[in-house]
Amino acid sequence: MTQLMMQSLSPLLIIAFGSVLSLLLIAWRRSQKLILIFTLAIFVCALLASISLVSTLSISDVTGAIQVTTLMKVDNYGNFAFILILVASIAVGLLSSTWLTHSVEVHDEFFILLQLVVLGAGVLVMSDHFASLFLGFELLSIALVGMVGYSRDSQYSVESSFKYLILSASASSFMLLGIAFIYSQSGSLSFAAETAPVYGLFYSSGILLFLVGVAFKLSLAPFHLWTPDVYQGAPTSVTLLLATVSKVAMFVVLMKFWFSQTLFIAQPFISNGSVLSTLNLMSTLAILSMLIGNILALKQQNIKRLLAYSSIAHMGYLVIVLMIISPQSVGLAWQSALFYLTAYVLATISLFMALQLTQFNHEDTNQNISDWQGMFWQNRLLALLIFVAILSLAGIPLSVGFIGKFYLLNVAVQAQQWWLITALVVGSGIGLFYYLRIIFTLFSDVSVDKNSSLNYPAVGSKLTPVMSVSVIMFILSGIILGVYPDLLSQVFIGF
Amino acid sequence: MNITLVMCSLLFGGALAWYCEGIKAQSARWLSLLSVLIVSVYFVISITTSGVDFSSLQVLVRLSWIDSLNIEYALGVDYLSLMLVLLTLFLALICILVSWQEIQTKTGFYYFNLLASIAGIIGVFTAVDLFLFFFFWEVMLLPMTALIAIWGHENKHFAAIKFFIFTQVSSLLMLAAIIAMAAIHFQQTGQVSFFYQDWLTLDLPSSTSRYLMLGFFIAFAVKLPSVPVHSWLPDAHTQAPTAGSVLLAGVLLKTGAYGLIRFVLHLFPQASMDFAPIAATLGVVSILYGAKMAFAQQDFKRLVAYSSISHMGFVMLALFSFNAIAYQGAVLTLVAHGLSSAALFALAGMVYSRIHSRDLGNMGGFWQSAPRMGGFALAFTAAAFGLPGLANFVAEFFSLVGAYQRFPLMTILAAFGLIGSAIYGMVLFQNAFQGKRQGPSKERHQERGSKINDLSKRELLVFSSLLALLIIIGFYPNLVLTFFQDSELILAITNTAGGQ
Repeated sequence: MTQLMMQSLSPLLIIAFGSVLSLLLIAWRRSQKLILIFTLAIFVCALLASISLVSTLSISDVTGAIQVTTLMKVDNYGNFAFILILVASIAVGLLSSTWLTHSVEVHDEFFILLQLVVLGAGVLVMSDHFASLFLGFELLSIALVGMVGYSRDSQYSVESSFKYLILSASASSFMLLGIAFIYSQSGSLSFAAETAPVYGLFYSSGILLFLVGVAFKLSLAPFHLWTPDVYQGAPTSVTLLLATVSKVAMFVVLMKFWFSQTLFIAQPFISNGSVLSTLNLMSTLAILSMLIGNILALKQQNIKRLLAYSSIAHMGYLVIVLMIISPQSVGLAWQSALFYLTAYVLATISLFMALQLTQFNHEDTNQNISDWQGMFWQNRLLALLIFVAILSLAGIPLSVGFIGKFYLLNVAVQAQQWWLITALVVGSGIGLFYYLRIIFTLFSDVSVDKNSSLNYPAVGSKLTPVMSVSVIMFILSGIILGVYPDLLSQVFIGF
Repeated sequence: MNITLVMCSLLFGGALAWYCEGIKAQSARWLSLLSVLIVSVYFVISITTSGVDFSSLQVLVRLSWIDSLNIEYALGVDYLSLMLVLLTLFLALICILVSWQEIQTKTGFYYFNLLASIAGIIGVFTAVDLFLFFFFWEVMLLPMTALIAIWGHENKHFAAIKFFIFTQVSSLLMLAAIIAMAAIHFQQTGQVSFFYQDWLTLDLPSSTSRYLMLGFFIAFAVKLPSVPVHSWLPDAHTQAPTAGSVLLAGVLLKTGAYGLIRFVLHLFPQASMDFAPIAATLGVVSILYGAKMAFAQQDFKRLVAYSSISHMGFVMLALFSFNAIAYQGAVLTLVAHGLSSAALFALAGMVYSRIHSRDLGNMGGFWQSAPRMGGFALAFTAAAFGLPGLANFVAEFFSLVGAYQRFPLMTILAAFGLIGSAIYGMVLFQNAFQGKRQGPSKERHQERGSKINDLSKRELLVFSSLLALLIIIGFYPNLVLTFFQDSELILAITNTAGGQ
């Protein structure tokens, strides 16, 4: 292993080593503050290592990618995704520290699990091989199961962690079977097989099974059924982890797999005598997710359920980038996907941050939109944070989400996927209903509903300096990247 | 001339007003009035002293904005945009004056939204990079929606959502068309471009240009509004605060017409020629349907809203008849309707502030106690139904004369709209100002009688300035028309129409 390889794996190594050290730290002294600071320090170190890797990668090699054994391939796209994952995890760490203080116990395990999730996600985004993919996938899922059910006194914790455990276990077994089928035909577990696989029934059904497993994790319709319940039942910061880290990692690995198998060159796909292509299959999933996610979100009162459905729709939008038809567009597809993911992650973190900060009673599973009523007149900063995040999710200009959507439309127009564009337009139209409802709630009068304003303490006094700084940071990044997206897209151009 | 400065100072003025309202009550309206006045004066002075001929599009600024997609921050003006910007600034003053007493809650934020939407609208009228255009197109929506949703009447949230979704969905279609145009530019020249003048040189295959034209057309038809997609307008107008209605009717609808002229007709001349019969039919249907629906309304503002649909139908008909006279008529209609409908909505707001109702059934006999208001109301309804001597008459006359040469039958049908407008105009006037006051409760009736206060000085200023402009343009339409005698579009129209 050369030094370059060591360096390219350093973010992952830092996290892996850090989690071992954290175990030692717990053995030495159980203090929640200490483990929190240590976890954040690990993440920040890994973040710095990743950022320094960006420049190394762009000069090191012609392809901009370093093959570290057959298992891993570190490239700029995966590395950027890992940076996103680390940012989201730092937010999760900070938010869970405000939540975990409610209880008397010392919660070291929570932070260890968090580190393992990040490690799993890191392995996923760097993997180039089915073995490392499965390893990362399982590490991510198993650690997440523990976190979803972490607040044991909550009434939903058993339900949601069981749902997540069983469904993700079945998803991974589907995936494993799919991998086996693919292996039986291509004879290689690497994403990009040297010899062209035999495109027979086995191969096709292998791809299908594999995609089913991924779709479970991305909660694409019709594999979305677990999402709202688990989102609602899990503690807020864990939901954030599910919504960002797990989605980003899965999507990036899907893209790696998709582009190295060159699945976009439509292959005949035999089912019931009719010829389908994987492309058509994925676009069907995408259209279904956009429509189902948005329609089901319409009537939701619970914020977390609403975000769950909206995330289904967003994953549907994102699948558009897989629909390219020529190898030349791969770069554009990656740029669009990473931009959209950045916008999505920023908006989701903002919303969950607001959710956590406006959560006064311990029972965090029943937070309704009406709890945010009139917030703009009481706590302008937090309301602004929600406002920008919602604009971003709805894809309205001035916010980074609009540029993301613009990129997606760009890919779709170039690939001439008119059905996907139609679904995107219709889906966004439906989506506006519930996004606007949240915004109007923020701006409506508090006096209308006396009951809710009674248990509405001034949130402003509760914001610690760290929190208000990060709130301001997220507001600014949401707007600045929306007005001047070059700050981000120039980074991708260098890849 | 620096349009960026104009927009920034409007935004800054709005923010300042918002901030100062927290320090000293009632300061927001003065500050915003002052900033709009200063900006208008600056704008007028810089036009008159610039000495540039604006009959063709003059690009003022061109800076690169998003390099990775070759998107530019490019602003440009010609006489059309100048005229519409002037109209916007003038109506901005009217808006501030009509909301002087009306807005009592969250005043600072209100004026911020008002000025922000005006800045956005000015951006729409001057952007020549299509991405930037779309950006402003959406940005002006947000504060406008806020105006409806926060300071509107009883059913405000529904109206605001409807308004927003109609515009947003249709504009996403436009966005797809914009991206497709950029992609075509990439195929033909090897470079992505969103710049308007680059697009004018593109050679579009007629099959694709038809679909792309439709993408733009739908977005602008929603804003105009034209008949199948008009249903947001009555709700938004009725529920918006007075200034919101004035702004919507006076300027926001004009962005649709502006888009049709600037983009649909210019970028897709051939496709629009082919599409003209359908568009003209939509225009005629809007004229007649709007007039019929206006006649059936009991709500003052709803009536005026439907009359707007009817009047904008003339614009659609005139634009798609590809004729120089009709084009001048359409442009003049934009100004005339902007002034007269703004006046009628302001009137509705003033009546509402006195009797707290928009229902025509609760009005009547106002003339006795408020003769000045009655006089102005008569003048403005007369303007709306096109009395000679007022601007609307010239505008509609030109539109009809021009359209007749291409669509004789449809123009004859459209002329019936004029009779319809006379009927609903008289219904409006009679119900509100003549006869006896009708009301739901007898007691309130006796207690208050049919007396209402006459116009205050501020209201007098609003009305007399609007009426003066209507009369001046009515008697001397060349004031506007001289600038549109030999504009680019007319040349383009004659070229395309001649080529047929």
